[in-house]
Amino acid sequence: MEQILEQLPIVLKALNIGFLQTLKLFFVTLIGAFPLGLIIAFGSMSRFKPLSYFTKIIVWIIRGTPLMIQLLIIYYFPGLVLHNPVWGGGETGRFVAASVSFILNYACYFSEIYRGGIQGVPVGQEEAGLVLGMTKGQIFFKITLLQMIKRIVPPMSNEIITLVKDTSLARIIALQEIIWAGQAFMKGSQGISGAIWPLFFTAVYYLICNGILTVLLGQLEKKLDYFK
Amino acid sequence: MKKILVLMLTLVTALSLTACGGSKDSKETSGKASSEDSDIAYVKDKGTLVVGITDFEPMDYKDESGEWIGFDADMAKAFAESLGVKAEFVEIDWDNKIMELDGKTIDCVWNGMTLTDEVTSSMSCSNAYCNNAQIVIVPKDKADKYQDKDSLSDLTFAVEAGSAGEEQVKALDLNYTAVKAQADALMEVAAGTSDAAVIDSLMAAAMVGEGTSYADLTYTVGLNNEEYGVGFRKGSDLTEALNEFFSSSHKDGSMTTCAETYGVQAAVIEQ
Repeated sequence: MEQILEQLPIVLKALNIGFLQTLKLFFVTLIGAFPLGLIIAFGSMSRFKPLSYFTKIIVWIIRGTPLMIQLLIIYYFPGLVLHNPVWGGGETGRFVAASVSFILNYACYFSEIYRGGIQGVPVGQEEAGLVLGMTKGQIFFKITLLQMIKRIVPPMSNEIITLVKDTSLARIIALQEIIWAGQAFMKGSQGISGAIWPLFFTAVYYLICNGILTVLLGQLEKKLDYFK
Repeated sequence: MKKILVLMLTLVTALSLTACGGSKDSKETSGKASSEDSDIAYVKDKGTLVVGITDFEPMDYKDESGEWIGFDADMAKAFAESLGVKAEFVEIDWDNKIMELDGKTIDCVWNGMTLTDEVTSSMSCSNAYCNNAQIVIVPKDKADKYQDKDSLSDLTFAVEAGSAGEEQVKALDLNYTAVKAQADALMEVAAGTSDAAVIDSLMAAAMVGEGTSYADLTYTVGLNNEEYGVGFRKGSDLTEALNEFFSSSHKDGSMTTCAETYGVQAAVIEQ
C-alpha cells in the first residue's frame, strides 16, 4: 500500500497523458463519424440503386470485420503492399490512422441508426408537408430531421459509450492511449517496474468518463422530450 | 434533394479516388527508387533513423525528462550520428515488429531482441552484441522444489507469444499458455493462473523480487543462453554498416563505456 502511494503521482501523470490521447481519439471520431454516418445513411436509402448497393456493401464489410483488423489494415497496408508508408512511424501518423479507422467504423454503425430514425418517422408526416406545399428539402429539415434526432438519442448514447471503451483497441498499432500507459508499468517505465495495479486503475478513468457521458446524454434525452 | 446528394456523393468518391491515386504514384516511385538501391540512402534522404522499441529497462527506457536512454538507445543514437542522421524512437507493439519494419513505419528493431528463428528468418540481423538467458520464474515458497530442468515437467507455464521463452518451453515439451507480453506472464504467476513463467534474465533482474509488485516471486533455472541483435529490413545495407560501427566502437572502448552506464557490461559480446 505504501509503495502504491509512492508510485501514485508518477502513475497518475502517465495515465493522464494516456487518457488525453483516449479522449482526443474519442472526440475526433465523433466529430468525423456524425456527418459521415448521415451521408452513408442517405447513400444506403438512395433510390439510385448502384449507389445504395455500393454503400450497403461498404457497411457490410466494415460492420462485418473486427475493428482491430481494420486498424491493422489501415495502418500497415499502405507500407506493406503499396510500399508507401503514408502514415509515417511517428505518434501523429498512428493517431491519424487510428482516427480514420474509428471514423469509418463508427460512421457505418451510426448510418444504420440514422436510417432507423429517418424511416421511423411516419409517412403521414411527409404527406402532410407535401399538402402544405413544402419542398422536399423543407420537409426533411423542418419535419423529419428533428424527430429523427429525438428518436436516435438512446441508441446513439449506447454507441458513444461503447466508443469510449473501444478506443483501447488502438493500442494494436501502438497508439499510446491509457491502457498502453497503464501496462507500461508492468514491464518497467520511469523507474517503476513490475507494477500491476496501474493497469487495473485505468478502469476508474473509463468509469468516471462514462458516468459523465451518461448524465449528459440523459439530460439531452429529457430536453428533447417536449414532443412525442 | 436526393439527386443533388447522389451527385455530391459520386463527386466526393471520384475526387478521393483520384487524390489517393495521384499521391500514391508520385510517392511510390520516389520512395522505391532510393530504398531499392540502398536503405542507407533512404534513411539519409529522410534525415532520421526510426528505431522501433518497447519500454524495456535497461535497454530502452525514458529518463525523468522523457528522453529515451538505455544501452540500446544510446548505441542507436551514436549509430545514427555516424550516418549523419537523427535517431527517432517509436514505441511499437512487439507482435507487429515485422509488419512495422516491412511497412517502413520503422527502420530497425533495436530493443534487446533475441535472435530467434522468427527474427532471423524475417529480418536482416546484425552480429550479436549482448548475451542473455531465459530463466524460470516461480513463487518464492515453491522455489526449492524447482531447481533443475527435470523438476519442471508438472508445472504449467506462461510465456510471451513468439518469445525466446516460448521456444524453450516448446523444446522441453512443457505445458504452457502463450500470453501477450513477458509482464503478462509474470502476472499469471502472481495471480496463480500459471505455476511458472519463462522470461529474459536481464528483465527478471529488474522486475522480480524486493521492491516490485512481484516481491513473492523468484527465479530458479536458466534454460539456455542466447544473444541479442538488431534487426533491419531484409536485404538492407544498414546491417553491414551497423556491424562495422559495432566493431569500431568496441575497439575504441565507447561500447563498453556505454554498457557500464547501464550495468550490462558483463553481457556485452566482443565485436
